[in-house]
Amino acid sequence: MTKRTSLLSKWEAYLREPFPMLVGLSMNRIFHGSNSSEEEDVNLSMGILLTLLAIPGGFVSIFLFDKYGSFLQWLRGQTNFDPIAAALPDEYFFIVLSMVVTGGVAVWWWDSIFPDRRDFANLVHLPLPASKIFLANSVAVVISTGVCAIDVNAASSILFPVVVGGSQTQLSFVVRFAGVHALVVVLASIFSFFAVFATAGLLMLLLPYHLFRRISRYVRTLIATMLLATLATSFAVPRMIEGLPRSLHSPLRFLPSAWFLGFGQLLHGTSDGALARLGHVAVAAVASACAVAAATYTLAYRRCFVRLPELADTPTGNLGTRSSSIFRLLDLFIFHTPFQRAGYRFALKTLFRNEVHAVSLGGSLALGAVFASQTLLSALNEKGVSPRPTAAELSIPLILGYCLLLGVRFVFDIPAHVQANWIFRFLLDTNIHEAVALARRIMLCFVMPWLFLAVLPLYIHFWSWTIAFLHIGFITVWFVLLTEVLLVGFRKVPFTCRYPPFRPAAVVAVITCVLGYFAFTAMTSELESDALASPIAGGFCFVISLAVWYAAYRIRRRALAGENHLMFEATPAADFEFLHLSDSG
Amino acid sequence: MLQAIGLSKYYASIPAVENVTFDLKAGEILGCVGPNGSGKSTTVKMISGLLEPSRGRVLFRGEDIHRDLVGFRKNLGYVPEEPNLYPYLSGREYLEMVGILRGIPQSRLGKKVDSLLALFSLYPSRHSAMASYSKGMRQRVLLLAALLDDPEVLILDEPLSGLDVSSALVLKSLIRALGQQGKAIFYCSHVLEVVERVCSHLLILRQGTVLAAGPTGEIQRRIGHASLEGTFHHLVEDVDPDKVTQEILDVVREA
Repeated sequence: MTKRTSLLSKWEAYLREPFPMLVGLSMNRIFHGSNSSEEEDVNLSMGILLTLLAIPGGFVSIFLFDKYGSFLQWLRGQTNFDPIAAALPDEYFFIVLSMVVTGGVAVWWWDSIFPDRRDFANLVHLPLPASKIFLANSVAVVISTGVCAIDVNAASSILFPVVVGGSQTQLSFVVRFAGVHALVVVLASIFSFFAVFATAGLLMLLLPYHLFRRISRYVRTLIATMLLATLATSFAVPRMIEGLPRSLHSPLRFLPSAWFLGFGQLLHGTSDGALARLGHVAVAAVASACAVAAATYTLAYRRCFVRLPELADTPTGNLGTRSSSIFRLLDLFIFHTPFQRAGYRFALKTLFRNEVHAVSLGGSLALGAVFASQTLLSALNEKGVSPRPTAAELSIPLILGYCLLLGVRFVFDIPAHVQANWIFRFLLDTNIHEAVALARRIMLCFVMPWLFLAVLPLYIHFWSWTIAFLHIGFITVWFVLLTEVLLVGFRKVPFTCRYPPFRPAAVVAVITCVLGYFAFTAMTSELESDALASPIAGGFCFVISLAVWYAAYRIRRRALAGENHLMFEATPAADFEFLHLSDSG
Repeated sequence: MLQAIGLSKYYASIPAVENVTFDLKAGEILGCVGPNGSGKSTTVKMISGLLEPSRGRVLFRGEDIHRDLVGFRKNLGYVPEEPNLYPYLSGREYLEMVGILRGIPQSRLGKKVDSLLALFSLYPSRHSAMASYSKGMRQRVLLLAALLDDPEVLILDEPLSGLDVSSALVLKSLIRALGQQGKAIFYCSHVLEVVERVCSHLLILRQGTVLAAGPTGEIQRRIGHASLEGTFHHLVEDVDPDKVTQEILDVVREA
C-alpha cells in the first residue's frame, strides 16, 4: 500500500469516528437547511451554492481589466498611474461585496446555524455528552464560515490583484497586493458572518423563544436591507475617504466596510492617521464579533437547544382572522372563482407565515428599496427635481416593481410543506386549472395598489396630473407584461410543487435576472421619457409592449400545446434526449 | 429496573404531568395509555432523560438518570413519536451513524446493520435517501436504531405508527420476546387492542395524573370490564360517544 493510500484510508477511518460524524451532520444541516424547511427550501446543492457565491467577485474583477490595462491607460494619457491609489474604490467595493454576500449567507442560514429539533430527536437520546454535540456544532459553524469566506473571495483574491498589477513589472507587487487583499476581504467576510450570528444568538438569549421565532423574519429582512444599503455605499464612500483626515467626526467611523478599507491601507503602508485608526477598529471588530458570537451561542445553546422539548410543548398564539373583510373585498373585484379565492388566501398565508418565504420576499423588496433609493439620490443630486421627470426619476417604481414581482415569482417556487399538497391533488382537476390566472392576480395584487396609493400622489405632487396618470398607465402596462413573461410555463399552485425548476440552471437564472433588471428598469424608463417628450416615441413604446405581450402569449401557447396539466412533482431536465431520427422518414 | 418517583412537569406553572409514579421491572412491558393531552409524551420525554422533571426523579438501577445520563442512554433504546430522520442520509448510513455514536465496534456494525435491514424488509432500499422512504419505512428504521445496541430498557412511543400488517405482527411478537428475555419496555400507544395484547402492566393517565397502575389483568378485574377498551372508557372518557356521534351527524347534514 502506498503512503498516499494509507493516509487516505486513515482519513476515511477518522471520518467514521463519532466526533467528525457529528461535525458532518451539523455541516449538512447548515448547508441544506434545518428541519423546519425539510425538502422544502430552495436547498441548492453545495456545489451550486458555492459557484453562485463565487460568481460576483469573479465577474467584477474581469470588468475591471478596462480600468487597469496599461495600453488603455496609455491611450487615456495616464502616465503616472498609482495602482494602489487607483484601486481604493475597487478595494472598497470588494470589501462591501464580501460582507454583503457572506452576511447574506448567514441570514439565509439563520435557522440552521443552531442545532434543531431533528438533531435533538436523533442525537440527544444517544449516549453522547451534550458538550460533544455542542462542540461538534461549533466546529461545523467555524468550518462553514471559513469555506464561505474563502469561496466568496477566492475569485477576486486571484483575479483582482492580477488585474491591478497587470501594468507592474514586479511580480512581488502582485503577490503582496494579493496577500493584503485576500486577508482584508476574508476578515470582512468573517466579521459580517459572525456579526449576524451574534445578533441571532443575542436575540435568542434575550427574548422568549416564541417571540424570537416570531420576530426572526423581520430581523432577517432588516439585516438584509442593511447589507444591501452597505452595497449602495460603494459609490459614495471612496470619495468621502479623501476628506476623512479633515473631518474628525465623519460618519464613516461607524461604517464597518470603511474599517476594513482602513485595515487594507494600513497593511499596504499607505494609510494616513484617520484611515489607520479605522484599520485598528477593524481588527477589534472582528475579535469582538467572534467573541460575542461564541458567548451568545454558548448561552443560547444552553437556554434553547437543551430545553427544546419544553419549547415544543409551549402552546402557540391564535392566528386570528383580522383580514377577512379585505379578502371579501378582493373576492368581489379580483378573485372570481372558488379556486382563485381559496388559492389567494392560501398563498398569502403561506407567504407571511413561513419564514423562508417571508424573508425571501422581504429580501427582494429590500433589494428594490436600496436600488431605488440610490437611483433617486443620484438623480436628485445631479439636477434636483426637473420640470419633466428624467428617465431615472421615472424608473423608481419600475425598480421596486421589478424586484417585488421577481421576488413573488421566486417564492412561488419555494415549496411549503409539500406533504400537505395532497389536498390540491385531491380536489383539483389537473387538466383544467387556473394556475396562471391565480398567480397573475396575486403578483399584480402585490404591486398595483402601491401605484395608486404612493406613486400617483407623489408624481402629482412633484410634476402634474397628466404626467402622473400617463406614468401610471405606462407602469401598469410594463408590470402586466413582466408578469406575463415571468409566468411563461407556469402550471402549479404556488408553493405546492416539490422541485424548483430553476435549480438545474440556477447560475443562468441569476444572470438572466440581472440582465432583465437593466432591460426592465433602464430601457423602459428611457422609452417612457422619450414617449413623454414626443408622440412618435410613444407609438414606438406601444409597439414594443405589444410585441413583448405577443411573444409571451405565443411562448405560453406553445408550452401549453405540449403539456398543460397542473404540476406537483416537477422533474429535472433530462441529461440526454432521444432524437428519434429513424422516425423522420 | 426503571423507576419514576413523583414525576411532575410544569409549563409556566401549568401542570402537564403531576406526581406520576411507577416501577418498571426487568421483563415487564408497561403500557402507557391516556387520551390526548394526558401527559404521555411528557412522561416519555422525562423517563428517557430528554426533559428534566420539575419535581420527582427517574431511577435506573436505583441511580438517578441525570447523575450519569450518558451511562443511562447506553442502556436505552428509544423510538420517538415522530419519525424525524435526516432525509439526505440513506437508511444504512443512518443506522451506521447511530451504531458508531453508540460505540459499537465497526467490525461488527456493518454486518449487524445489513442483517437487521434485511429482516425488516429494508435491505433493497438501504442505499436510498430516507427522503424517499414511506412513513412505515422510516418507522422501521427508528425501531432498528433503537434495537441496534441490544439495550436493557426500551421506550417506545407509538411504535406501530405507519407499519403495515406484517411488520406490525413481527413487532408485536418481537416486543413480547424482548420482554421474555428480561428487557424492561415502556410502551406508549393509543391502540388499546395492541396494548391489551402486548403489555403485562398498565399505566393509565388522565390530565397528567395516574388513574390506574398495575398488572393489566388485575386492573381489568378491579374495574369489572373484560376488555381494555371498556376499562379505559370507564376510567378516562367523560363523553358519551353515541351522543357526540349524533351531534356530528346533525351538523354534517345541516344545509
